[in-house]
Amino acid sequence: MTLSSISSLTLRKTPRISDAEFADLRGFIYDVTGIDIPERRQYLLENRLGARLAELNLKSFAEYSSYLRRSPSKDKELVYLCEKITTNETSFFRDSKQLDVFRDFVLKDVLESLQQDGRKELNIWSAGCSSGEEPYTLGIMLHEMLRMSIIGWRIRISANDISTAMLNKAKDGVYNQYSFKTTPQEMIEKYFTKEPGGFKIHPKVQRLVSFAALNLNDRMALKRVPKSQIIFCRNVIIYFDEEMKKKVINAFYDNLLPGGYLILGHSESIHKFSRVFKPIIKPGGMFYRKEG
Amino acid sequence: MVLAKDIKGADGGVFLAAGTALDDAAIASIAALGAPFAYIKPNPAFTSPEKDLQRIESFVRYYFQYVDPDSPLFNELFRLVMERVFEASQKGWAIPCEYERQAKSVEHLHDLFFRDQGASLDLVKHETSLSSFPDTYFKIKELLDSPASTAADMAKVVSADVSLAAKLLRLVNSPFFGVAGRVDSISHAIALVGVSELATLALGISAIKFFKDIPPELMDMETFWKHSLRCAVFGKCVASLLPGLTSERFFTAGLLHDAGRLVMFKNLPYASVQAMLYARSSGAPLLEAEREILGFDHTEVAGLLLEEWNFPAELRSIIAYHHDPLLSPAPRDAAVIQLADILACGVEISSTGMYSLPGMTQEAWNLLGLKTYDIDKLIRLHDKYFQELTSVFF
Repeated sequence: MTLSSISSLTLRKTPRISDAEFADLRGFIYDVTGIDIPERRQYLLENRLGARLAELNLKSFAEYSSYLRRSPSKDKELVYLCEKITTNETSFFRDSKQLDVFRDFVLKDVLESLQQDGRKELNIWSAGCSSGEEPYTLGIMLHEMLRMSIIGWRIRISANDISTAMLNKAKDGVYNQYSFKTTPQEMIEKYFTKEPGGFKIHPKVQRLVSFAALNLNDRMALKRVPKSQIIFCRNVIIYFDEEMKKKVINAFYDNLLPGGYLILGHSESIHKFSRVFKPIIKPGGMFYRKEG
Repeated sequence: MVLAKDIKGADGGVFLAAGTALDDAAIASIAALGAPFAYIKPNPAFTSPEKDLQRIESFVRYYFQYVDPDSPLFNELFRLVMERVFEASQKGWAIPCEYERQAKSVEHLHDLFFRDQGASLDLVKHETSLSSFPDTYFKIKELLDSPASTAADMAKVVSADVSLAAKLLRLVNSPFFGVAGRVDSISHAIALVGVSELATLALGISAIKFFKDIPPELMDMETFWKHSLRCAVFGKCVASLLPGLTSERFFTAGLLHDAGRLVMFKNLPYASVQAMLYARSSGAPLLEAEREILGFDHTEVAGLLLEEWNFPAELRSIIAYHHDPLLSPAPRDAAVIQLADILACGVEISSTGMYSLPGMTQEAWNLLGLKTYDIDKLIRLHDKYFQELTSVFF
């Protein structure tokens, strides 16, 4: 084995994406999904999708663009594309400090006020649930808080994502070690059973969650989500530009019942483009409340 | 199946040694230990030199996915890095698996503020109000700014700080600096290197002391300073190829080019880890991930920090613009450190590198007037001197 084969290597392996093709693809992705690809990621996009062009036997990015628009399998391809350009970094009890504060301030407040009103009906919306770790974590928290009394409640956690592949994984409810890197051991023992493929979520948690595909850029679909007391949307709006962020935040505002809460990712803020929510800052976590 | 690397037990000792045959019982014991992964020796029936090279290529390509694939600079660097990784793997270096390259969990760490509840200036003010800066630094700075000061004054101040003086002498005596004869006093060093050059080096070395109490989960400090030292070495080497540049300040600029990152790690540890995770999974360089997750990046923080410290303006702008040299008042100087940083990241791919290389525009590269074959030369110089210099600093 010699090093000679290395000297003939080059970085370019894919067809070149022209500025016009990039602008077109970028515009298309934005119009359909609301995901904004910064201009400086032109090479990254070329790189990430290049192999796909070869798989589909397409010669240029212009051909790929028309494949996305007109091919019989365009819907499937769009999902594939979204997976390539977004990340699905998640785990059970991710950002545990924020979740602790959420439990002690938000969830406690919401459950108590529902109980006082004699309406034991709770709707939570997990928007951008990826492979299901977040909505299942919320289900586990509810079991931990309500214990046996949970049988007297009607609880629905509506969990959505744009990726059907992620949703299928979520519905299976089987996870490997990587999903548990931020999870307390006793929670794993209590709510998961060991299976050959990993750890399976307990059916009593699974039954609280309803998964469905949803595109946050689809205004009509957003309107069909049941009105909720709590919305979780963590590490999703980071992919959107300001206009799309505004649209989504307004949709959340419309969905929330008065007094409801919106919870974003640790490093996401709506401060710059929306003042309709009241920010509530606690040590370890920050939430947005719809007054009323 | 045979274990390729030791598996450590809960007490840090060897739980199962490399070379152990993995039968069902051994695998069950690894699972019971909770080890997330184990290295196994490749089955000779499934490996070949071609397959090894393919694996290395896909590993190395990860780091180049963000840069212009038609850039002569990055194509040359890509081939050189391929050779490097290939040689390292021949010597037994195992390509790290994805799990190892993930940032660690930092669920217990607190941030100073939430996104948009504070800005880069708040970080810097908070940091400088907490830790006091080494006295020697201010004395050196004062002398540098005063036209009446003499070489003897400078020698007196620097010699008074014994550990600083010792480091400076070791540095000046190292083959890397290449001064003739043995230098045994600071005044001798000043006579050879020049007052302002030596003072600049002294500023850099004394500033390093400022950074402590960085959470070890975020970044192993040795890895961090080694990267900085590599960048310092490359900075001085690149500058020495360009006419009309004194190279000592590029050494100092390289040493401190990522100082802003340390301030971020310390005060926004949780968000910093989110940025690392995001960079790793999206394929974007850490710089861009910082901008997206925090709303600002380490060059902005460093610029403010060095301003707060009243650092010489030319050093400040090199560091603050080392990712955007064309915006700098002295674009070529900033481009020197931009290239030095990229080369440092490049050579680290075969050891500790984690993130995609940040890009460098053709315009910035053109400012340097270098040829692509200079890259090989620079990496050879780095390899010749780096190891020995680490003993001066660590």
